Amino acid sequence: MKIGILSKRTGGFTWKIKDYYENIGHQVKIFTADNLCINDSLLENDFYILKSKRMLYLYAGYFLEANMVPVIPNTSLSHTHKDRIESYYAIKNTGLAYPQVYMGYLKILKKLLKNSYFPLISKPIFGSGSNDIRILNSTKDINKDFEEPLYLEKYIDGVHYLAYFIGDNSCICEKKPLSNEHSQMIKIEFDEEIEEYLRKWKNKYNLSFGHLDLVRENKTNQLYVVDAGTFPEFSNWKQKINPISSVCNLIMKKYSEIKK
Amino acid sequence: MSHLIKIGLITDNYHLEKKSSQFLDYCKNKVEVSIYLEEEYFIDFSHYEFNENIFFVKAKGDLIISLVKLIERETNIPVINSSKSISLAFNRFLNSVYLKKAGICIPSFTLNPIGTSPPYKEYIMKNIIDQKNYAFKPQIKEKEGFFEVSDMRAIDESSGIKPKYSHVYFQDFVRSKWEFKIYIIGEDIFYYKQVPVLINPNKMESRIEIENVPELTEIAFKAAEAIGLQICSMDFLKLENGAFYLSDINSSPNFNYIKNGPKYVVDYLIKQAKG
Repeated sequence: MKIGILSKRTGGFTWKIKDYYENIGHQVKIFTADNLCINDSLLENDFYILKSKRMLYLYAGYFLEANMVPVIPNTSLSHTHKDRIESYYAIKNTGLAYPQVYMGYLKILKKLLKNSYFPLISKPIFGSGSNDIRILNSTKDINKDFEEPLYLEKYIDGVHYLAYFIGDNSCICEKKPLSNEHSQMIKIEFDEEIEEYLRKWKNKYNLSFGHLDLVRENKTNQLYVVDAGTFPEFSNWKQKINPISSVCNLIMKKYSEIKK
Repeated sequence: MSHLIKIGLITDNYHLEKKSSQFLDYCKNKVEVSIYLEEEYFIDFSHYEFNENIFFVKAKGDLIISLVKLIERETNIPVINSSKSISLAFNRFLNSVYLKKAGICIPSFTLNPIGTSPPYKEYIMKNIIDQKNYAFKPQIKEKEGFFEVSDMRAIDESSGIKPKYSHVYFQDFVRSKWEFKIYIIGEDIFYYKQVPVLINPNKMESRIEIENVPELTEIAFKAAEAIGLQICSMDFLKLENGAFYLSDINSSPNFNYIKNGPKYVVDYLIKQAKG
């Protein structure tokens, strides 16, 4: 089969997927921002893997799906994970807790945000992971001349977790607050509540793999979801099963289901 | 106790100051109006209260879209236009994908990395997201039989220290004597034609109202349905063989250009609010 991978980089997990499929006889081409032209030239592949959820790759995903070329994971679901407001409602509609969210322009935030609102985290409205995230402890921290409205979340003081899932397997790690996926983490043997959150999340959206970032608040013990991703690098996957072959097999299974 | 329909106008400073006065004048004594101004509104996604019968959106910024999403998800109050349709309308690439999928004739398009030429001899280069209040500013080059039109926004937004995009939207250039401007307000449709803005940037100078064009009516309603817009405007180009190509779609048209435009809009909103 001819497989395309839409990815912001050629290395890491993307390279391992390519290597895995090529070793079993498939042809694989990686499309990054350097070589991706979104037009009919993309239609030569049998299906695409949407590794990155940056807008450019989502555009390619929408284009391909409109032309009946399967994209895995599904483009609109990846888009939901990318857009903070959509993601907030996706988590809320699954019955999982999410921190309080606010939006406004600088001037109105300075006027209305009282001390009780802080600490807050500012995040890009279209984004994921820990990129461009800042902790704000008071209105004094909102001191830049922001042209765009700010998206703010209540900062939860607690223990931070990264929870991966691949099929029925999961791997839960404790991590430093706001650290990225590649930082050092400690594997947690079992957490029933996080397992339940993962189960609800993947069942609600029929996900084969992905991850949730969670925080358990120190004061209340309430577990919050603070981010979700459709295609992590699995750099802290610490279970016996091989994440590359497992993910690649689940992608092939999904492709067969779509083609039926 | 007031029995007037209450319309929530969701807008920004620009649209309120420059485009909404006739709308607000017509509303007087007919409906109650509350104004949600993008620059002054604070969204708390856990605490909100709305008592409007309908919302009308006259802007397309990120905070506006987020507020509309909150109203759509948390209440049953109708919103015109929806968050999805507004987002699709200002994204040239995505609306091209949706329109083509719906079978609407649109000029060929491609999204290419900056510096990679499109496979067209004559083309227009545009920015992908047309969200800000800014008019089309074309830069035209004709060289060795090639005809290139670039929107200065696309150049600005894809260059500099922090470029917004790595890619730009290219559209095959369609030559047409006239540009057809269509306005849709619910089930009402209005037809105009004008000299294309590349020939005469002052679009209103040559604009004339024209009779119903049945072929355009069918395409325009089909396109509005594909994007999910109830109030919108569209630009069409006509090929020599008579075929109409949809070249632009707008979720926030200036309906002051239509005779009694504000009346049509308010009457439509009242009708929708009454269900």
